[in-house]
Amino acid sequence: MIELSRRDGTRKFMNYFSLSLLCVLAFAAITPLFFIFAYLFVRGWGGLSLSFFTEIPKPVGETGGGMANAISGSLVLMALSSAFGVPLGLACGMALSELKKSFTARILRVSIDLLTSVPSIVIGLFAYALVVVPMKGYSAWAGGFALAIVVVPIVARSTEEILKLVPSSIHEAGLALGLPRWKVLIQLILPGVRAGVTTGILLALARVSGETAPLLFTAFSNSFGYRGLSAPTASLPVQIYTYATSHDETWRQLAWTGALVLVFVVFCLNLVTRILTRRTL
Amino acid sequence: MSEFLENVVGRDPSASKSAPVGALRTDVGSTVAALETKALSAWFGDNHVVKEVSLIVEKNDVFSLIGPSGCGKSTFIRCLNRLHEETDGARVRGEVLIPGAAKRENIYAHGVDPVSIRRRVGMVFQKPNPFPGLSIFDNVAAGLRLAGIARRNILEEIVETSLVQAALWGEVKDQLKKPGTSLSGGQQQRLCIARALAVRPQILLMDEPTSALDPISTARIEELVMKLRNDVTVLIVTHNMQQAARISNQTAFFLMGELVEMGQTKSIFTKPKDSRTEQYITGRFG
Repeated sequence: MIELSRRDGTRKFMNYFSLSLLCVLAFAAITPLFFIFAYLFVRGWGGLSLSFFTEIPKPVGETGGGMANAISGSLVLMALSSAFGVPLGLACGMALSELKKSFTARILRVSIDLLTSVPSIVIGLFAYALVVVPMKGYSAWAGGFALAIVVVPIVARSTEEILKLVPSSIHEAGLALGLPRWKVLIQLILPGVRAGVTTGILLALARVSGETAPLLFTAFSNSFGYRGLSAPTASLPVQIYTYATSHDETWRQLAWTGALVLVFVVFCLNLVTRILTRRTL
Repeated sequence: MSEFLENVVGRDPSASKSAPVGALRTDVGSTVAALETKALSAWFGDNHVVKEVSLIVEKNDVFSLIGPSGCGKSTFIRCLNRLHEETDGARVRGEVLIPGAAKRENIYAHGVDPVSIRRRVGMVFQKPNPFPGLSIFDNVAAGLRLAGIARRNILEEIVETSLVQAALWGEVKDQLKKPGTSLSGGQQQRLCIARALAVRPQILLMDEPTSALDPISTARIEELVMKLRNDVTVLIVTHNMQQAARISNQTAFFLMGELVEMGQTKSIFTKPKDSRTEQYITGRFG
């Protein structure tokens, strides 16, 4: 009897011990997140001012200036990439949910998963060959195209997942009204899953807002602000990369502040998707 | 313009509230059946679930289909608006005749578009299934809008008429913009009935429409079905024999995919010809 209760104690101790160990390891795993936030805040906060958002960078050696060029450029690139990528991604997602387990759907699904895992630098190279070379120059078009390739698979898979949750009885209700399948899907099913689909789009935007590699030799950069869709276009990640590796103290400060702003934007996009998801599911 | 559009748009909106829906249809005469099946068979893969069923449903009748679970009655009515074939591996053989523009037509004849058939043969399902994210109004208007009717006054007119027919108007007339899914289960089912009626079908198929509802909602729907027979022919699948006895004029008894017996509801329940029918209605199996 005594023997048994001692073993019982050991078992309980081991249970608590392993659970605590798991918790400690879990927190250790997410520590970098807090350090990133804290460090960015400490280094970047000082540079945050209205001029950061409204002014373009000053030449080396001069103080002041901002990242208006990169902010406007990032907005243009995100708009372009969603204009190309979202409709295609939605189409892929809807096709996947309609074709279900057919051979075509399997091919499509594998291809989309492969597209997700293509290194982003390779996507940049592809856009360079396909857009930059024929257009004879870096442009927002090329950057938007490269980012769209990143957007498509994310939107496609999230749309498919959300459409899978719609019960088949809703499809049948539409069919029973004498409506063709595509009309049922686009006009009756899709409005019901608006929030879920939006979540996927926002996640894709959060992802591309931080992409650097596909932009290095597509959109490239500029220091003047928006000069049209066919001109080189700055973006926050590329600007951060350039300024962080420079020797100018003002520029390095801009890079820190830029990083803080970028992380904040991505954080907000993720937060909005959280709220939307909670409302739908 | 399709016959369907002419039916709906070609009407004087002011007259629509009083005009019975039946008056809009091509008059086929009372002697002609609303629906006839000839040796109708249906499969799920290799599973033969409906076996050579031939029956006739008279116009403006309430026709009930009874039988134990898995006897093929739901599959049978899903063949009548060609919904069965939407399931993977599903197959149908045989004929289903419904009155067409000039003469009766087989909905399974070569070249017939299932979409056009489903506008004439509406359906209400076992579980209420309003379109999520759509308002009460938009749920009822969905079939019309997507068929190309955009004029607001026509839509409003038909939505109101349909909701009145489905005995839901009084409860929802001040909240038409609320989501359809915000209604109670019984109200949702009546919303689904209104949605089906809005496209002015000549036949309404109901697949156990009250099995997910409480007794009060069930009673309201039964009452409504009995009124609907003035406007539309109703085929109703039910597990509840009292329900069949209360609301239907004709009853068919299905067993293991076969039509065992059909006839006047009263005679089926009082003096069934087949011993299997008698055993089922006296509760010896099923």
